[in-house]
Amino acid sequence: MSTAATLDRPRLRRNPVVRALLSTWGARLTSYVAFLVAWQLLAWYVDRVPEPWETFDFIWREISGGSHGGVRPGEFWEHFSATLGRFSIGLSIGFVVGTVLGIALGSSMFLRALLSDMLLVLLALPAIIWAFLTTMWFGLGWEAPVYTVILSAAPFVAVNVAQGVRSVSPDLHRMSEAYGVPRNRRMRSLLLPAVTGYLFTGLRFGVIISWNAVLLAEWFGAVDGVGWRARLWYDAARYRGFLGWAIIFIAFIFLLDGLVLSPLQRRAFRWRKSAAADVETEGLGGFDAEELSTMGL
Amino acid sequence: MILDQFTLPGPVKVWQAIWEILKSGAFFDDFQISITKTFMGFGIAALFGVPIGFLMGRTGYWKAFFHDGVVGAGSVPGIVYAIMALVIFGIGFQGPVLAVGLISMPFIALNVAEGIEGVDQDLVRMSSAYGRNERQVLRHVTAPSILPFVFAGVRLSFAIAWKVEALTEVFGSSNGVGFQIRFAFQGFSITRVLAWTLMFIFVLLVIERILAVLERRLFRWRTWEQAA
Repeated sequence: MSTAATLDRPRLRRNPVVRALLSTWGARLTSYVAFLVAWQLLAWYVDRVPEPWETFDFIWREISGGSHGGVRPGEFWEHFSATLGRFSIGLSIGFVVGTVLGIALGSSMFLRALLSDMLLVLLALPAIIWAFLTTMWFGLGWEAPVYTVILSAAPFVAVNVAQGVRSVSPDLHRMSEAYGVPRNRRMRSLLLPAVTGYLFTGLRFGVIISWNAVLLAEWFGAVDGVGWRARLWYDAARYRGFLGWAIIFIAFIFLLDGLVLSPLQRRAFRWRKSAAADVETEGLGGFDAEELSTMGL
Repeated sequence: MILDQFTLPGPVKVWQAIWEILKSGAFFDDFQISITKTFMGFGIAALFGVPIGFLMGRTGYWKAFFHDGVVGAGSVPGIVYAIMALVIFGIGFQGPVLAVGLISMPFIALNVAEGIEGVDQDLVRMSSAYGRNERQVLRHVTAPSILPFVFAGVRLSFAIAWKVEALTEVFGSSNGVGFQIRFAFQGFSITRVLAWTLMFIFVLLVIERILAVLERRLFRWRTWEQAA
């Protein structure tokens, strides 16, 4: 048995199908198939878990507006665009506020000492708390999701930007001061290149955090949007509806990160070969697990 | 007065609420339950994360196989884990445990993979040169080198796990911190939401500090080794 196996191995490895399966792409493909199989088995075992085909069928009908459970054509886009609007407005404001705060924190020791404990608490605050508070403050509507996004994203952007500002070499700073380099040129050629990477990292973090925050806030404090829609199906005990929306949430964040944010980040780092490589190897936003762990879900 | 108890109660009011909660014993009951669930979740995460990380660190095939799933699982919104855990198990203690397991597994797996890749290959070769078998190498060389990485995975994912645990309790539980926060929200008591939140953050920061100290203590030998 064992001799037969060892004899067959080289021939087996030359087989193109086997080689394709053993390649990186083959492994990835196998993992997706294995995931679907595991899901199907779980669905058979647990009654409440919908089957994969059911779920994909739901997604198709929900998006195309086919005949099922009172879905009108175009309803999907109504909810999706409502959420997208809140998400982008909240993220933009949160990003600007966070950047300003980060620059202030990075450049002033006094502010750092004053606000660092406060920031620690804000970083530890789960998005659900903001969702609850804003819902109680503003009632149901667009306000709760937008403010939840701003309040959840801003501290993370601020921390990253502050780190970037502090990473500017003090020697270079002093030298440019000594040589009388004008302030705006110092901003452009010294501060900006140093901070860009951290800004991008802050942005990618902000995106992931904001997406989670907008979903949570819409679940509790809105009357439309994708979070509300997912809740509708969940409350109706149509779990394929919830799971379908969960897949849409995940697909959206992956596409946004893969198609927009990481290419953008690579572009911003063209001039710095090694930094671009760092971004690649370290994964999410070029941050290590230490910083990833502070991400508030 | 713009600020009243329906917008933002003052610090005195919140402090009174915290005092009430402490006096009633709910603080210890609910936090004990939530902490237990969180660490049970870490147990699940280690059960699956360690073998996955081991395989990922060992061969390129398994690294490619698990990469997408493990990295992807880290950026799935917490709400998805919370609700899925609830759908599968209903209201009970298993839901939060599963949610914590799912969210912290990638951290442990990635850390262990890194640890395996960092195992001193000279030691492994020397062990086999001296006729140690695979199991002995695993027990005396590999396991001690990956243990710190498992612990680091737990420490790093604690904040996220703690938040997801509370989130799952918010959606469906009959005890724990998340349940109390939900209860206060349903009763429209901003004071009590803030009181529970502050205690939640306090416990989070304290446990993180304890884990960091423990890590330094338990794995002190590692720094010696590195220094030598």
